[in-house]
Amino acid sequence: MKGFDERWKDLPDYILGVTKEIWEDRNIASLNQYYADDIYVRSPASFVKGNRGVIGATMATLNEFPDRRLLGEDVIWCGTPETGMLSSHRLLSTATHLGEGVYGEATGKQVRYRILADCHAINNQINDEWLVRDQGAIVRQMGWDAKQYAVDLIEREGGPEACVQPFHPDLDEQGPYRGRGNDSVWGNAFAHILSEIMDANLAIIPQHYDRAVTGYFPGGQELSSTDGVDSFWMGLRAAFPSATFQIEHLMGREDPLMPARAALRWSLTGKHDGWGVFGRPTGAEVHVMGISHAEFGPWGLRREYTLFDETAIWKQIALKTG
Amino acid sequence: MKGFSNRWKDFPDYILGITHEIWEDRQLRTLDHYYAENIPMRFPSGLAQGNAGVIDGTMATLAEFPDRQLKGEDVIWSGDEEVGYLSSHRILTTGTHLGNGAFGEATGQKFIIRAIADCAAKEDTIYDEWLIRDVAGLAEQLGWDPQEYAAEMIRREGGPENCVRPFTPDQDVDGGYHGRGNDNIWGARYAGILTDIMDKRMETIRTRYDRACSLGYPRVMFDHGWDAAELFWLGLRSSFPTAKFEIHHQIGREDPMMPPRSAIRWSLTGTHSGFGTFGTPTGADVHIMGMSHAEFGPFGHPDGTIRREFALIDEVAVWKQILMHTGDI
Repeated sequence: MKGFDERWKDLPDYILGVTKEIWEDRNIASLNQYYADDIYVRSPASFVKGNRGVIGATMATLNEFPDRRLLGEDVIWCGTPETGMLSSHRLLSTATHLGEGVYGEATGKQVRYRILADCHAINNQINDEWLVRDQGAIVRQMGWDAKQYAVDLIEREGGPEACVQPFHPDLDEQGPYRGRGNDSVWGNAFAHILSEIMDANLAIIPQHYDRAVTGYFPGGQELSSTDGVDSFWMGLRAAFPSATFQIEHLMGREDPLMPARAALRWSLTGKHDGWGVFGRPTGAEVHVMGISHAEFGPWGLRREYTLFDETAIWKQIALKTG
Repeated sequence: MKGFSNRWKDFPDYILGITHEIWEDRQLRTLDHYYAENIPMRFPSGLAQGNAGVIDGTMATLAEFPDRQLKGEDVIWSGDEEVGYLSSHRILTTGTHLGNGAFGEATGQKFIIRAIADCAAKEDTIYDEWLIRDVAGLAEQLGWDPQEYAAEMIRREGGPENCVRPFTPDQDVDGGYHGRGNDNIWGARYAGILTDIMDKRMETIRTRYDRACSLGYPRVMFDHGWDAAELFWLGLRSSFPTAKFEIHHQIGREDPMMPPRSAIRWSLTGTHSGFGTFGTPTGADVHIMGMSHAEFGPFGHPDGTIRREFALIDEVAVWKQILMHTGDI
């Protein structure tokens, strides 16, 4: 890979390798090399620019979860080393809450959750990022309710005025990556399915999903079959029925030893004006950052992994309702 | 497909289609046609023979779980018109315990388990079968401890002397299928991995499974990673450390839209002589019928690693053999 250290044979190898080196092999200082000084990091909870806080934050996480492991389930990617590559990395993380930190006093609880990280890599560095962590799964496994955690977080951060603002396109800045993905048939197929669902055509689910599909959804939910997929997407869209759905990035791949697969980054922006999984409509302005992976098979979409951060949504709702 | 109705486009289509017709469309009497009159069905809980029994068993199950659905997760198959086809069909089965039956009075509990059925078919008819359901998972979801459920079955069936005997090789009959699968490389690789594990080369899990692997085991619908794989395989082997491990049927396939995958039917036969998943050693003679499916992926080894594995044994049938030996019911 031109511009990259020669020990990495391809982008998945680089992404999996760098993640392990930083987190599990404890070479946290290598972030100075792997993350650009002025990296843009967007997560549903915040927008952060610059590499300065990243090492400190990594150490704070490892202090809270010393045995944290990051298991790379997949890397779906596009681009070239010369023009830059976008990797959508799906991770399953396991850890024990052994230290005090952002989640409060140590509970000794074991947690397991997924992360979807879209990273732009060029010249052996990552300089643009979108990161969705399944916060709903984490806080529930520690005994919180997702809404209660968000309300508590606002308080701990100094109240509605002073607290960290969840990510919204108004806060965003254009980073170095301007790509929109690739034109794979699988990326387009998945984008079509999600767009139809968001257009309230849920009839597309039994038509395009395998009836024995497994869906891995926020809150660590593992739902089987098309009914499960329907209940998940219905619950989300019903909460924000008039919000604008946008596909931000789409790609698909066919690789040796792998099923056909796709990765999408999408968003919902608008009002919390319906009854769905976020309770009584509040009219709050909400931005939902979502990342989804799909694996296709001969009988339809066979496995889906979708994440958004429920606590960041509750935070936006709580900031409106006080 | 020669000899099959021309509405089936391929063998998986036939398997998925007739399963739907029988169970969800309620056409129980299609079994007169789709199942051979004297078909042997080997369950870990015992041997059944003949399609009349299959129809009655299907009806009893539907009476207990009226909304039962069977969703085919995969069909991994081998063979041809001449030797007969063999399909290893992995099924997600869901339902609600709304009727009285084998699991006692209706509890209203919902359940979801996996089952794997190996069926031999020729000329539109299934004539030989091996079937494992996650009975322990089902029992647990309906409020039973699997070991206690096995004890209850023994009591209900008249005690250790009179109860239905779980399947052992001496009961077996020849149903007509004599195939051993195919010689695809992925079947050979999976067979090699399982053989190494059963040879107590436990490092095999860390070298030949993807470290982020997804797993489904008895009582466990969704688990992940090396520790979970170790818990199942090591826990099993450790309970029966001297038992004989045999591979009876081995399929590997590379199909469009699918990762390379494999289906293996295996068994462990021997003495319950170690501490493991099945508790304190009792010296009981046990036969364990096992089936596993694996999907391979590219991460971590030049020959590929197991990215997803679904392995089933019927733990209740194992407990039953142990309790029949100890009489501790």
